[in-house]
Amino acid sequence: MNDLIPPQVMGTPVEMTSRDGIEAMQLDRVRWSLQHAYGHVRLYRDRFDAAGMHPDDLRDLADLHRFPFVQKDDLRRSHPLGMLAIPRNRIARFHASSGTAGTPTIVAYSAADMEVWASLMARSLSAAGVRSGDILHNAHGYGIFTGGLGVHQGAERLGVGIMPASSAVVLRHVQLIEDLKPRAITATPSYLLTILEEYERQGLDARASSLGIGILGAEPWTERMRAQIEEGFGIDAVDLYGLSEIIGPGVACEFREAKDGPHIWEDHFYPEIIDPDTGVPLPDGEVGELVITTLTKEGMPMIRYRTGDITRLLPGTMSPMRRLDRISSRTDDVIIIHGVTITPYEVEERVLSMPGLAPMFRIELTRRNSVDQMCLHVEALPGMDGDDQLHVLEQKMVRDIKGMLDVDCVVAVAKPGGMERSQGKAKRVTDQRGALAIPGG
Amino acid sequence: MKDLTPPRETLDPIELASRDEIAALQLDRLRWSLRHAYENVPLYRAKFDAAGVGPDDLTHLSDLEKFPFTEKEDLRQSYPFGMFAVPREDIVRVHASSGTTGKPTVVGYTTGDIDRWGDLVARCLRASGVRRGDMVHNAYGYGLFTGGLGAHYGIERLGATVVPVSGGMTARQVQLIEDFRPKAITVTPSYMLNILEEYRNQGLYPRAASLEVGIFGAEPWTGGMRAAIEDAFDMHAVDIYGLSEVMGPGVANECVETKDGLHIWEDHFYPEIIDPETGAVLEDGQEGELVFTTLTKEGMPVIRYRTRDLTRLLPGTARTMRRMEKITGRSDDMIILRGVNVFPTQVEERVLAVAGLAPLFQIELFRDGNLDAMRVHVEAMPDLDPTGRQSVGAALTKGIKDMIGVSCHVVVADPGGVERSQGKARRVVDNRRARDT
Repeated sequence: MNDLIPPQVMGTPVEMTSRDGIEAMQLDRVRWSLQHAYGHVRLYRDRFDAAGMHPDDLRDLADLHRFPFVQKDDLRRSHPLGMLAIPRNRIARFHASSGTAGTPTIVAYSAADMEVWASLMARSLSAAGVRSGDILHNAHGYGIFTGGLGVHQGAERLGVGIMPASSAVVLRHVQLIEDLKPRAITATPSYLLTILEEYERQGLDARASSLGIGILGAEPWTERMRAQIEEGFGIDAVDLYGLSEIIGPGVACEFREAKDGPHIWEDHFYPEIIDPDTGVPLPDGEVGELVITTLTKEGMPMIRYRTGDITRLLPGTMSPMRRLDRISSRTDDVIIIHGVTITPYEVEERVLSMPGLAPMFRIELTRRNSVDQMCLHVEALPGMDGDDQLHVLEQKMVRDIKGMLDVDCVVAVAKPGGMERSQGKAKRVTDQRGALAIPGG
Repeated sequence: MKDLTPPRETLDPIELASRDEIAALQLDRLRWSLRHAYENVPLYRAKFDAAGVGPDDLTHLSDLEKFPFTEKEDLRQSYPFGMFAVPREDIVRVHASSGTTGKPTVVGYTTGDIDRWGDLVARCLRASGVRRGDMVHNAYGYGLFTGGLGAHYGIERLGATVVPVSGGMTARQVQLIEDFRPKAITVTPSYMLNILEEYRNQGLYPRAASLEVGIFGAEPWTGGMRAAIEDAFDMHAVDIYGLSEVMGPGVANECVETKDGLHIWEDHFYPEIIDPETGAVLEDGQEGELVFTTLTKEGMPVIRYRTRDLTRLLPGTARTMRRMEKITGRSDDMIILRGVNVFPTQVEERVLAVAGLAPLFQIELFRDGNLDAMRVHVEAMPDLDPTGRQSVGAALTKGIKDMIGVSCHVVVADPGGVERSQGKARRVVDNRRARDT
């Protein structure tokens, strides 16, 4: 027996204990998924036909890269029910994606898909160290987005006591954590920092709270943020990955013992990394855009879905299933300013490394007289509210961004508490350059 | 409106059982529940002991009246986990009340409780005319409140498709109804009116919407409101009842074929009607406060829980189980105005009876010198001219005076002038205390 998989990680099939077993299972399932998509979804049939490809052309896993991609826009164009691969009355659940930009897209699940989702989310929580009998405070919003209910169903499957806190006001989150003493919390990392701040505002010691584990996801975050959260609450902060188009939360999760990147549940999802510009597949270890093919999804199979997330694939450590490196950015929120490409991730690193600044930021891009300008909004820590102090922070930050990222920017340091707080997913970048552009100019 | 009567063979056998069978089941289950509460919850043990009764003192269902009541305050005092009758690790779900009026309360469920809750909400939906494979738009709020998740689990249990929209974002609600074409909607009646208004704002025709039935609850509403909603959407409007202390939504539901009050699922809940002043049990048919004892709840059994809801028990019609009449009011939102008891539902009834008024209102209480006074804020329909407004205002003033016996001021606002519900409607704004001292 392979001893890589801790016995407590529930629902891992025995085939998944060796790379050979994994790949054999994946090959069978990719075949099924290609046939299912081709046989039932017009869009796939048209695309495959146009590319001269048929599901039978898949002889080994490497053949998958000859099949066409699907993108978020394909889902939008198929709104609302064009991507369904089973009859409408066999759909058990609809959700919409919580994309921060554009119109929402619809996703659909069969009863079997719901089972898979619950079991993978349970596996994720289990990898994160959550156990049957624990109480989990679920601060993801419940409803049409997949975060709240996705986590909920997995926790239920694991036998965890759930507090469906959803998007309660921050005061109430603190009260419920203090009163019900949960061992684990699920939230976006930025919202957990908002909760941490409320602890401090109320003069409560967050390190003395009952929390032992935070399972955080639904937005990119950094190692520094992890350190800050772990230090602030005295907990282990574990990265959970997922996206509605693929299934929702629970596509991949870190192990609490290792915290070395989320293991992707390869029995249900086949990952590839591609060059985002050329679409060419890249070998494991190289950085590019993550592309996922669903292996078992009935309601809405995804063949080579371009996630927009930039990362790389790494060998498994806690399991032979491969890991994702921390998502460093998204293809669609790369900021190109003065010819320099930077990501919100890099800016976050700078903000978090600057003493005296709170762990939050917002980037505003504007265009004045056809010159692009980046304004970085940050906030001073309590005790740093003198005008002189704010001014010094501004100057330091301008120099730091120029020095590290080679971008000239304006920095606005708000007084402590002066910035708007995340109410879920933090909106990091506002780009108003398009709005002010001169037509035809 | 379509005939949505469910085929009899799809019902749970107990829904058609004889009164004797139901009573026998209740007696067995009641004995179990009393013992379970007495042995595992210190509060019940202390209360029973103080009243000199024990679980063995129940020989007939009517013996239940010897047992002490449980009140909301008991739950507050036991916050957070004092009412649980099983080890904490066996509680798989916790819901919490908003705690807007004092300390919050918490309710807890075992796996078995969650399972039975799903079954009962599925039974409610079936009674409402929803079937396996239908699509249900669930606009009850998800999260701490039991409405959203309670309805959700029942929809899932029935094998219907759930669109878990939750509350708020009214324009999005309309878009989802138009895109998905659900057959049923679960929502508070006041929020349904917001959705209706959004339909009209977008120039859409609500009677052409796909909705065939709405399952409305979580707040008292009237027959007049039912008629208004049914007419506007060309759909059935049925009433669902529940409260988180007893379980959540799904304690009772109307049958779509009769719409004559809500059948209480008596295999899981034992109802009594009492005189709210004396606590004495009243005969079926008499109006009083509804009291529930849970018969199968493991996590948090409640024994003779005083709901504060005023209604009466009526014999079964479409099912053998007894019905409760539509809730006329809650003893704690009853307004006492110069000695007269006024319920917001009575005002609603009068508002809906006046043509030219939107089906919305808010009652404001204030001090007029040393006297309490009531102002009713209503809204004119968009096509009403100033003269029309005066006459509908006068008609409502007279309607309230005639029916309820109190004089009030009616303020007819412009369209959009009355506060909209974002879930449960805020019917009464009490400004009397603000001016006291």
